[in-house]
Amino acid sequence: MDEILETMAVVAADPLAYARQWKKETQGRVIGLFPMHFPGELAHAAGALPVILQEDDEPITVGQAQVFNFYCGYNRSIIDQALRGEFEVLDAILFGDHCVQLLGTADVIRASLPKMPILFNQLCSILDAEWAKAETVRTFTQLWKELEALIGQPIAPEQVQASIRLFNRNRALIRQLYDLRRAGEIALTGRQMQDVVKSSMVMDRAQHTVLLEKLIAGLERRGPPTDAVRVFLSGHLCHAPKLPVLDLIEDCGGVVVDDDLYHGFRFVFWDAAETGDPVEALADWYLLRSTKVPCPTRAVKSLDWEDYLLRNVRASGAQGLIVLMAKFCEPHMYFYPEIKEAFDRHDIPHLLVETEHEEMPMETLKTRVETFIEIAKRRMAA
Amino acid sequence: MQMVAEAQERPEARPIFGNGERANRLKATRFGGKLVNDYWESLFAAKEQGKKVVWYNGTYIPPFFHAHDVAWVHGEAWSAMLSAKHREVTAQARGDEKGYDRELCSYARTHIGQLLIELDKIKAGTSDIAPDDPRIETMLKLPPPDMIINAYPYCSSGQQWDDITYRLFGKRVPMMTISIPLLWGGRPDAGYLRGEEWNERSRYVADQLIAMTKFMEEHTGRKFDFDRLSEAMGYVKKAAQLRLEAMDLCTAQPSPASFFDWIVSIAPVNFLPGDQNIVTYFEGVLAECKERIARGEGAVKDEKYRLFFDGMMNWNKVGWLADKFAAVNACVVAGRYTHMSFWQEPELIDVNDPVLGMAQNYLICPNNHGAPIMIGEIEKICDKFKIDGMVMHAARTCRGMTNSQFLIADSAKRHGRQALFFEGDVADESFYKDELLNVRLEAMIEALDAKARAA
Ligand code: SF4
Ligand code: SF4
Repeated sequence: MDEILETMAVVAADPLAYARQWKKETQGRVIGLFPMHFPGELAHAAGALPVILQEDDEPITVGQAQVFNFYCGYNRSIIDQALRGEFEVLDAILFGDHCVQLLGTADVIRASLPKMPILFNQLCSILDAEWAKAETVRTFTQLWKELEALIGQPIAPEQVQASIRLFNRNRALIRQLYDLRRAGEIALTGRQMQDVVKSSMVMDRAQHTVLLEKLIAGLERRGPPTDAVRVFLSGHLCHAPKLPVLDLIEDCGGVVVDDDLYHGFRFVFWDAAETGDPVEALADWYLLRSTKVPCPTRAVKSLDWEDYLLRNVRASGAQGLIVLMAKFCEPHMYFYPEIKEAFDRHDIPHLLVETEHEEMPMETLKTRVETFIEIAKRRMAA
Repeated sequence: MQMVAEAQERPEARPIFGNGERANRLKATRFGGKLVNDYWESLFAAKEQGKKVVWYNGTYIPPFFHAHDVAWVHGEAWSAMLSAKHREVTAQARGDEKGYDRELCSYARTHIGQLLIELDKIKAGTSDIAPDDPRIETMLKLPPPDMIINAYPYCSSGQQWDDITYRLFGKRVPMMTISIPLLWGGRPDAGYLRGEEWNERSRYVADQLIAMTKFMEEHTGRKFDFDRLSEAMGYVKKAAQLRLEAMDLCTAQPSPASFFDWIVSIAPVNFLPGDQNIVTYFEGVLAECKERIARGEGAVKDEKYRLFFDGMMNWNKVGWLADKFAAVNACVVAGRYTHMSFWQEPELIDVNDPVLGMAQNYLICPNNHGAPIMIGEIEKICDKFKIDGMVMHAARTCRGMTNSQFLIADSAKRHGRQALFFEGDVADESFYKDELLNVRLEAMIEALDAKARAA
């Protein structure tokens, strides 16, 4: 099992190195995707390796010439990687989010990689609008056409359905891990869970699925230490949380039992229909996602992120909530006060951790997490 | 991202810089102050007159409200007004207290902070005014919304701002969000006002505007009157044409008006009612520009340099900045915010059937084009007005307008223009760095002098 987790950790640590290796071995196309809502299935059906582009750990150097320091770490890192030439492995990039900072990044990438095909299809962000379905169908139909033009041949609906099935299978297996972890039957750490999910955003899905099947079958059925404080992790949107931050929570006596992270449950919780028109299926998948795990970039009138969190913190038996907020992430900054007030009202321990692309002050953070864990313990004892 | 034009600053506020000259502002714009006051007055009387009130953010959709006889409150205008009157701090502090991070759009923070103060009063059952309350007297009567409409081109922050407003009102006020998507311009036929994407997106927005009229019908119980919309748009179109005509006169050297005059002229083309007054306003501005040209009088004394202002306006600093540039004989002739927005393509509007042309004007706001087309348009403006240099306002909390600024500056340099960046913000004065601007402006002026000497 360690070997499988190690493979996933290596891919998660350097996704573009995996992509380069894959390309060398298969001579196939690699298509970069932007978070957080674009389905990789269409790119996969086009025979390419869809890779969700990730923040890396390098300090921002050349990127400073094209992005202000008051942008989130994800955008700054992506621009820096583009200018460092890291994206040479990519044959195309799919953009389509609504976050204003990502729109700026799209333009910088277009300017700095003029030969790179950019398939830009902005998704409708108002999911409960009357026209949302028709508009989303239009967007994915357009993307389908653009992918066909890119590869120079048609993509059959059956291919897309096959990709949907494979992606569903992959997601379902990761969800199984989540179920086992919530039930206290396995003791995957926060770091390991992130490696599992993040590697699935990068690796050949079939290969990743085989690894997952083995992992689930072989993983030791052993819960985490019983005296550990059960923690729910929320937020962080496009960024994968830094691994030392996840380690720190556990080092301080916590255990992560559930999350709504994009590099976590948010990525896997929802499947597309395997029958019927695949464009419709993907459109429904996109539109219904936020009705399950609310996303602040897609506010839906009838839903509140804090309600979801209150419900799921309870359902997972978590004793506290840690919110990881990437500095300068506007959607998160808008909605955080609602979460804070709801958790205050319900007297559930919660801690806000603002993260930065650059070095985090780990000592200060350690003190804060220790205090949070202490409070949660006292609350349990009371 | 759209804004107000009621910049009234402390009269004593002026930079100690350069030769001490002050901007020679157009006198005709004073009429705008009266119009803005009248607008607020009629808004505060709206409830008494039995009118429904819409709060909206984003692009210039008031002709629809005007036609339907509902009163309207523009969130950005509200924040900009507080900010221009230096009354924003308490509102922002209330937002802070609730947990809104200061890195969040300061328009939104000011507006939401003010809203929270209002709600506090309602909850406490008191309308007493604390001595440090940021509201000017008239704001006391600001009517709460019966509807919320969001129509924010490009910027997700503008959309999320109303998602929060909706929640703060307990989800009891009906809300509609109109999506005005980015014109990416990636297809082979893409260009300014042309191509498949342009046609398709124009229709998409127009359909949503029609849906908005239905939304208003539903929440007022009255039929929408498209004839009245045509009537209002007749005035808007005329005002927009006059504005462009006056702007075009600024190719003259010295320029009769500056970017700061156009900044204070935004309200009439942004949110004031579409009636004869806005036409009269721009007739006045046009006439004064003509008179100045005849006299050889410039917006800046002894104009030596001509600049372009990029980025969102720094609403606390309108007069301050106007004077600062005047003090080095630099006329800021044009800007992205003023010259690429607010009905800048009036000929697209068919007054008899205006909705499609309105949608198209909303789509081409100053940041809603992908960078290549937007920068192409900026370069055209810079060539037309013989611009020597670019002043890039890096508004700290406004990603909507800071996106692409490095690309704009790079392009300017390629076209032989200087570019400087200065830090500030739309409505949060604490981000403004005066010293930095002074040093960079002096360096730019020296470079321009050196270039002139070499020529
Ligand atoms: S992390 Fe937040 S600010 Fe950054 S790209 Fe994602 S949604 Fe936008
Ligand atoms: S960030 Fe800028 S463009 Fe966006 S809502 Fe705020 S002021 Fe408007």
